[in-house]
Amino acid sequence: MILTKRLLPVVGVMGIAALSACGTSSTSSSSSGGGGGNLASCQGTFTVATDLPLTGGDATDGPPVEKAAHLAVTQALANKTLGGCTLKYVSKDDATVLKNGHDPAQGAANITALSGDSSVVGVVGPFNSSVAVAEIPIASQNHLPLISPANTNPGLTQAGTSASIDTNSLYPGVHSYFRTIGTDITQGEILAYVATKELNFTKAYAIDDQETYGKGLSTFFQKSFTADGGTIVGTASLPGTTKQFQTQVADAQSKGAQVIFFGGTSGNGCGILRSQMPASIPELGGDGCQDNKFITDAASNAAGAQVTSAPDASKLPTATKFYSDFKSTYNEDGTESPYTPYGFDGMNALIQAIKAVLTANNGQPPTDPMTFRDSVAQQLHKLNYPGATGTVAFDKNGDTTQPGFSLYTINGTAWAPKQLLTADASGKVTVAS
Amino acid sequence: MSDETTASAARATAGAIGHGTLVDPRGLSARTDRAGTTRPAVVRTLAFLRKLYGLVQRYFPQFLIAGIAFAILKVYANGGLTLMGAQIKNALVLGAIYALVAIGYTMVYGIIELINFAHGDVFTLSGFYAFVIAGLSGGAIGSLATHSGIGLLLALLIIFPTTMVAAGFTGVVIERVAYRRLRDAPRLAPLITAIGVSFLLEGLMLVIFGADNRPTKLSSWITGRAVRVAGVDVNWKDIFVVATALGLMFSLGAFVRITTLGKAMRATAQDRSASLLSGINVNRTISATFFIGSALAAAGAIVYSINYDLIQWNLGYQLGIIAFTAAVLGGIGNIVGAGVGGFIIGVISVFGGQLAGGEWSNSLVFAILVIILTFRPVGLFGVDVTTRA
Amino acid sequence: MTGTAAVLTGADAGSGMPVLELREVDVLYGRVQALRGVSLTVGAGEIVALIGSNGAGKTTTLRTISGLVRPSKGSILLRGQPIHTLGAEKIARLGVGHAPEGRRLFGRMTVRENLDMGAYSRKDRAGVRSDFERVYELFPRVKERSGQLAGSLSGGEQQMVAIGRAMMARPTVLLLDEPSLGLAPIVVENLFAVIREINQGGTTVLLIEQNALLALNTARRGYVLEVGEVATSGPSQELLRSPEVQRAYLGM
Repeated sequence: MILTKRLLPVVGVMGIAALSACGTSSTSSSSSGGGGGNLASCQGTFTVATDLPLTGGDATDGPPVEKAAHLAVTQALANKTLGGCTLKYVSKDDATVLKNGHDPAQGAANITALSGDSSVVGVVGPFNSSVAVAEIPIASQNHLPLISPANTNPGLTQAGTSASIDTNSLYPGVHSYFRTIGTDITQGEILAYVATKELNFTKAYAIDDQETYGKGLSTFFQKSFTADGGTIVGTASLPGTTKQFQTQVADAQSKGAQVIFFGGTSGNGCGILRSQMPASIPELGGDGCQDNKFITDAASNAAGAQVTSAPDASKLPTATKFYSDFKSTYNEDGTESPYTPYGFDGMNALIQAIKAVLTANNGQPPTDPMTFRDSVAQQLHKLNYPGATGTVAFDKNGDTTQPGFSLYTINGTAWAPKQLLTADASGKVTVAS
Repeated sequence: MSDETTASAARATAGAIGHGTLVDPRGLSARTDRAGTTRPAVVRTLAFLRKLYGLVQRYFPQFLIAGIAFAILKVYANGGLTLMGAQIKNALVLGAIYALVAIGYTMVYGIIELINFAHGDVFTLSGFYAFVIAGLSGGAIGSLATHSGIGLLLALLIIFPTTMVAAGFTGVVIERVAYRRLRDAPRLAPLITAIGVSFLLEGLMLVIFGADNRPTKLSSWITGRAVRVAGVDVNWKDIFVVATALGLMFSLGAFVRITTLGKAMRATAQDRSASLLSGINVNRTISATFFIGSALAAAGAIVYSINYDLIQWNLGYQLGIIAFTAAVLGGIGNIVGAGVGGFIIGVISVFGGQLAGGEWSNSLVFAILVIILTFRPVGLFGVDVTTRA
Repeated sequence: MTGTAAVLTGADAGSGMPVLELREVDVLYGRVQALRGVSLTVGAGEIVALIGSNGAGKTTTLRTISGLVRPSKGSILLRGQPIHTLGAEKIARLGVGHAPEGRRLFGRMTVRENLDMGAYSRKDRAGVRSDFERVYELFPRVKERSGQLAGSLSGGEQQMVAIGRAMMARPTVLLLDEPSLGLAPIVVENLFAVIREINQGGTTVLLIEQNALLALNTARRGYVLEVGEVATSGPSQELLRSPEVQRAYLGM
């Protein structure tokens, strides 16, 4: 008995824990001892997964985040974070050829498959809010924790904040959705702060791409901009296929707009709009604009755009180790997508929550997989973990308690973070760095 | 009428349906049944509608011009001279591109009565031709264009003919492969084939060039402001687009008016068998029509690239339908009409977008299409059908 | 040369080799047989009339000669060379001029342009210029109207332009399909005088006419078509005397 107990961690590390597929129901001995000792006795293999767009038009977005999450799993295994228990990592792609990128239907199929696997205790993903809308109800019914590193649509967690999302219907079961990134409400507040307080503009013209994300962001921007004392002189809502914005630009100019705000993505015209604007008027946008496509599309007019995007953690002292580990593991900088460390923190948050569940349960996993998943979600709500991007903690809605966005400008031929701004619960914006 | 006779009438009409009519026999007989009781109201309403219809039909150009004038003045009242001027400039630039594409639709329809749905995609493909040609040997033509005035002239003298000729041959091949065999087939057959060719071209471009829009880098060729009128910046680019379109349209007008081939095209459009009897090589004339129409679309694609700096596999789909609307507005088959129609559609699109909101500008254009087809299928400058022999 | 035989058929009609010859030509429109074994010859310099009632196949015969309709059987020879496999525009270039039924002018082009189109395949500019003069000489009215749109002309003027257009190719054989249709008698009289003049200028003419009397008075020989077949043929004077022709086509 004693011998077996001593040997088990070794067995686990050797990866033969596959033997214990039924190990989750291991009869926990009454042995006492410290928490570490508890975990050392842990028996079982659990699966953690990612669901991200990895191919097609989203091939620049998903893969680095997936790598970062995978890195977190690799490190946890190496550090025996879960003591005697081991983790299996599964990566799912929610992109399809049909959609040339993220596909809600594929995301739903992925989550259905992961939910059906009782060894899966949590998933990092999805990347896109539209995919989240399809996935959250499935995860909710199956009690499966989902931690998104990139969903900014507030409607996913806060009722009445999105015209196209019925928040309550997303959670037919338990609330098991979390995100490590702020929402578009915060993003709108920060963009309005930048426009009114930093650039001293009072007149703005707002264009959106008719999609949930773009329309929502534009609404939040307009609300905050008006609250900050500015005037919205005109608006336009144009389909994503729009290639000509001259009519709107001329309209904005005649109405004395000092800045044109674009709520939408580069794919839906953020950069094309910039290329058709006079250089003297700046363009403001959200994270949907912060990519290389914007720079290519805006061509010679690219300078003069300011956009907010994921808080740039690359300069945070807390993130130094992550970036150096990422570099040594993948031989990539990991800085091309700001969401990369959020994938890392999301997976670490999941692992820490699993650890907390195991610790609270005498170092052993709960016998019922649903109970296990529920416990992980509970632990995620309680979590206060020092991650690469700062303290990882979630409020009652599953939203991060430290929403922040960085302001980016184009420096030469690439986006460069200018400053990091955060907003508190009342919407007050402060410059963090 | 007894049930039995109604039924047999329905059967008789159903028999007629088999021969190609699309009338619902039950609906028809039901209406006849009730005619007795509902006649007065129906007659009154119908008379009023007929009168209204006749009025709109008769004064369609006047209504259109009044509407456009109202829109322009409304924009002036709302935003002043600068806004009106800026939007007129935008309308002309957009209209020039629509006009160049519309001409291809109208020429092909004129000569073989086919709505060449692939024409918009020929426009897109031409944009990619320009993209490829401009990118040859590391963008040598681009460097030439931005080097000096002479260099720009040379670059334009390279890119326009090469792209236009490549596009012209594309059009000729499409006609030869997809349409020629179906020339005497029922109209629907070539129409469906044209839609198929459109999908084929779009698919090819999607596979070869990807889903994303590709910057053509042509926008850096022509830069700078030419003149500032009433607060409106008129750039060299804007002037170039409109001047190129007008130049090509007048050249085409002269071509079909003066040259033997041009006359043969008009003759073939009017009466194919009389053309054959006159010794006109109708196949070659039709090929030439496709060549010229496609080449003009290519010119449209180049000026589009110079102005907007992008090309995307599905760009020509919507632009094509808008240009087709321009061709219908001008009177399909009428080259001058297509040119004028393009500019009118540009004005409707821009000023409609300004007044009703940008999200409505396409809806307005397609509303115009429905209105023309309802009230004036021959368009503004429609050909007089009686002279078509 | 005057015909002595009661019925002239085959190569012995006209002088030497016939300019145009149809041998046992069948034409099918779908399942309907429009022509059945039609054989006819037109000698050089002749005017030959083709008469018959509506639907007898007169227009089909001309369209088959021009290549607008393809025979399913039989052959058509122009100066001894088979032409029935060629495209219509090739046949036109080889010297078959055709002023079709209903004139078929290019209505939205000027009269001059219509004549231009008639000379489409010709390269000899001087020759074309002299033919313009000749057409204007034959039809002074056409010259007066040369700048007008063909669609705006009167029926008689349109018929003149149609014949003029066919003449611009300097054809060996001129096919005329109902030139008198819908025209006032005085106009018809003038028109036929010009047709004779054209013939005297060396152009062979094959003429379709509803007005059999006029046709046979103009032509040297005639063929009578009935339901797609040649019912009878011979010198015009004989046909005019024939009781069958008199009863069926001359209303006597």
